[in-house]
Order: sequence, then structure tokens, then C-alpha cells
Amino acid sequence: MSFLLPQAQRPIPAAAGIGLRAPHIARVLQERPPVPWFEVHSENYFAAGGPMHAALERIRADYPLSLHGVGLSLGSSDALDVAHLASLRRLVDRYQPALVSDHICWGAIGGIHLNDLLPLPYTAEALALMVSRVQQVQDALGREFLVENVSSYLSFRHADMPESAFVAELVRRSGCGLLLDVNNVYVNSVNHGFDPGEYLRAMPHASVREIHLAGFLRKDRLPVPLLIDSHSRPVADEVWALYREALELCGPQPTLIEWDQDIPELEVLLAEAARAEEELHACRTAIA
Amino acid sequence: MPAAPRLHELQQGFAAAVLGRSDDVAAWVDGAGLDPAARLRIYRNAVAATLDAALHDAFPTVHALVGEDFFEAMAARYREQHPSTCGNLQSFGGALPGFIEAIPRARSLGYLADIARLDWLRQLTVLAPDAAPADARAAADAAAVEPRRLHLRLHPSLHLLHSRWAVLTLWQWCQSPGGPAPRPDRGGESVLLWRDGGEVAMAAVDPATFHCIEVLAAGGDVAAAHRAAMDLDAAFDLQPCLRDLLVQGLVVAFNNQEGCT
Repeated sequence: MSFLLPQAQRPIPAAAGIGLRAPHIARVLQERPPVPWFEVHSENYFAAGGPMHAALERIRADYPLSLHGVGLSLGSSDALDVAHLASLRRLVDRYQPALVSDHICWGAIGGIHLNDLLPLPYTAEALALMVSRVQQVQDALGREFLVENVSSYLSFRHADMPESAFVAELVRRSGCGLLLDVNNVYVNSVNHGFDPGEYLRAMPHASVREIHLAGFLRKDRLPVPLLIDSHSRPVADEVWALYREALELCGPQPTLIEWDQDIPELEVLLAEAARAEEELHACRTAIA
Repeated sequence: MPAAPRLHELQQGFAAAVLGRSDDVAAWVDGAGLDPAARLRIYRNAVAATLDAALHDAFPTVHALVGEDFFEAMAARYREQHPSTCGNLQSFGGALPGFIEAIPRARSLGYLADIARLDWLRQLTVLAPDAAPADARAAADAAAVEPRRLHLRLHPSLHLLHSRWAVLTLWQWCQSPGGPAPRPDRGGESVLLWRDGGEVAMAAVDPATFHCIEVLAAGGDVAAAHRAAMDLDAAFDLQPCLRDLLVQGLVVAFNNQEGCT
């Protein structure tokens, strides 16, 4: 029945969207580029009013929207910040996004926020906490929530499972959806020395609702390889290859190009999205 | 080897490392070819960069006036003493004006704290809730109400800053610095900030007008606001002040309407 709905109310298509950032908003409003969907950072819209909302209301009228949070700090041993959750709830009610997500990480402790996506120890204790938090969020929002695997630069000695098992089990036990960040899988495979294909195969493919792609930075002059998930460059060839593998496993999924540092002209993002679209097309053709 | 830390203990230790207070948590970090402390420093640097960028965004005029080196050193000390307490970075930095006042090196730049206040109020003005202005008919009805019974609800984006320095003149100069900088001590300025078509509008007004609006914004009745302004300037004329507020769409409701107390 989706052909009866206005464009913006349709679910997010299995097509390549882009992360909408402040420098591009004016052009998007003016030119209405043929982007299949946009994603914004939820916290940028937590304020009650102002020009950011005026712009997003107009964009939302014409494009499907995804809300992607960076500040819920799901895995913190502090209690979940109910004010933050209430702000997210208000935003979800206002914009009726097709997807809502945050990360498998923590960012605050003892009331101090570090405003970063910090790594969890992959332990039974952290898993149980994450499961209960995701359930709490899904109950509060009354809808499916997506969690995203994060990139990390260290692991903990007392971890008792690999990251992939932690992610898969979290999704299975909490009943949430998975936002599979393929760049983060690749970055972590280099940083922690695992096989990224094996990681992808361990994911709960039927629960994948969205895929993220972004560019990383390579740190030189270190005794071991280290990649930084900088969102500052084009998607790397290795990540495109891994994306192809992910599509083979999960089928075509809504895919997002993220770029947050040294943000280039909109055309660069559109070109990256076009490349993702080619991969999606190849995947659809292979299935058909 | 001690027992593995519980999540709470680990996160406290991690935060201590990120805030530069203690690297004890490094004992639980797998170095995997690198010094565990070096891996922790990646996070320490990233957190610092994020918070510094938030301060740069919120305080562009302070940055323009003091330059990168001073600003960076100030930001580093600020985030040590006033760690972020919110998952939304738009809330980080509210205590910076008071912090600047307490910096010995900034004492010679007395106006800097007020510039920081102006920067911060500009951000609050951008993010304030939306509200539709009262219509002409509501204003006409209100005109019939006795001033001592009349209250105005002003637009949530309206903010006020009274400074003993020429903060607005200085702010304007910073937007396109050319010629000698204006002297900050050339006279105080009372500044109104509000949102006009998505942009922050600012105007310096005379002290009596400022005080009148201040009393109205605090919920005082029109007669009280008028008296307060007259105390500063016996020649103060209420009508143009109210008219400007109405024309700018800064009156949202009168007390004869719902939502105004």
C-alpha cells in the first residue's frame, strides 16, 4: 500500500541515503536532490525550536528520515538518562522517523559525560546491561530501536566473548534491529586482528535494518596497524569489498554515507551514495 | 592478578584516564602491540577534541578576540574543571563566562566574560522554542486592560544582556575586523537578542527600555515595568517600547489569553 502514502511516510527504501549535516541543509532545501532518504543526528535537534527544526520539518515533508543518536550512553553503569530518552521520544513523536538508532557503547559515568562512543568490555555483565537498556528504550519509544556496532582502539583483557558474539547476542536477546556499520567492522578487524568476513557471517542477518559506510584514517609510524574511524574521507576500497559481502549475506539494505569531519561538497557525498547504489543494484540483480 | 573489574569500576577508571587523572585502568587494557596507555590516549585526545570543538562553535567571538593559543589553553582548563554533564553537546559551555572571570590572565580583558555571555546567549537564542506572535486583535484587546493588571508573555528566544562594556560594538567589529578595534570601555551596552526569521537579531537599547523589558520578561505587570524604567529615566516613553516588541513579534500572549500568567 505504500504507493498511497506520501513519499516521506514510506519506510526507508533499500537505497543509499546520506547523513544530512549543517553545511548542506541550505542546498538540500533549495535543490531537493534526488536522495532516497536522509539521516540526522538526534541530539542536534533536541532543542525545542529554531531554524534547525524549521529546516528539518521541510526536509521531512519530502524525504524519509532516520534519527541516529550519539548520546544515549546505553552501556553506562549509570542509570539510563531519562531526560535524554524523553528528548528522543519527543523528537520521534514529532518527526515519525522510519528508523531510530544509537550505539553499542557507553559515554558517561558518575554523571560526567565524555561525549564519545567508548568501548564496552565484551563480558556477560555488560551484555546483560545492554539488553536491559535496549529493552527500556524500545519500551519508552514504543517501537523497534537499532543498535550500531562501534569502532574501537582498544579491547579489555577480561572480555569473555568476541565483539561479534556480543553484538549478535544483544540483538537476539533484546529483539532490537541492527545497524551494521561495515566501516567499523573493517576498522576493528585491523585494530584488533580478526577476520571481518567471519564477523559479518556471525551477525543476525535477518535483524539488519540499515548499513553505515564511512571513511577512516590510517595512523602511521606505529608498531601495529591502527585505523581511526574519522568519517573524514571517501569509503575505502576494502570497505566497499566488505559491503558487497554484507549485502550478499543480508540482502539489499538501506545504506548511509556518513561524513562528519572536513565535510566536502554535497556532490562528493552524492557520488559515494551512487557507488553504494551500484552495489545495491548488483545485489538486487543477483537475487532476481 | 586482581579480580576483573566490574563494569562500574572499569568505566570509572576509563573516565579517569580520559580526563587525565589516572591511568590505572591500563592494567585491564590489552595493548596488543602498543602501550595500553597509548591506546587510552587515543580516546583522551578524541574526547578533548570533541569538547574543544563544541566550545569553538559556541564561543566564536571569544575565540576571535583571544586567538587560538589562549583559547585552546582556556578550553583545556575549562573542561578539566567543568566536565560535560550532558549527552547533548549543545549544553556544554554554559559556565565558561564565569570561568573566564576567574582567570587571572583574563582580568585585564574584563569585557571577555561578557563577550562569552553574548556568544552563549546567541546560541540559546538560536535553540529557543518557537512561538507564534500575538495577533493585532489580541493587542487591541490588551490595550483596554489596566496596565497594572496587564502582563505580557515575551517570545522564548528573547534574551537580555546588560554589560558595562561595549559588547555589541565589539561583537560587530569581530565579524569583519577592519581598522582599530573599538575600545571596550567606551560605555556599557544593554543588548536585546531575539530570533528573527531564523537569524539572531541583536540591538543595543537605552537602559530604561532594557529595564522595562527585563521587568516584563520576569513576569512583572506593565505598570511595574513602566515605573522601573521611569526610575532610570524620567522621560522614558512606554508606548514605543511596547510597539517595538509587538512589531518584532516578541509578544506571544497577553494575560487575557490562555498560557499567560
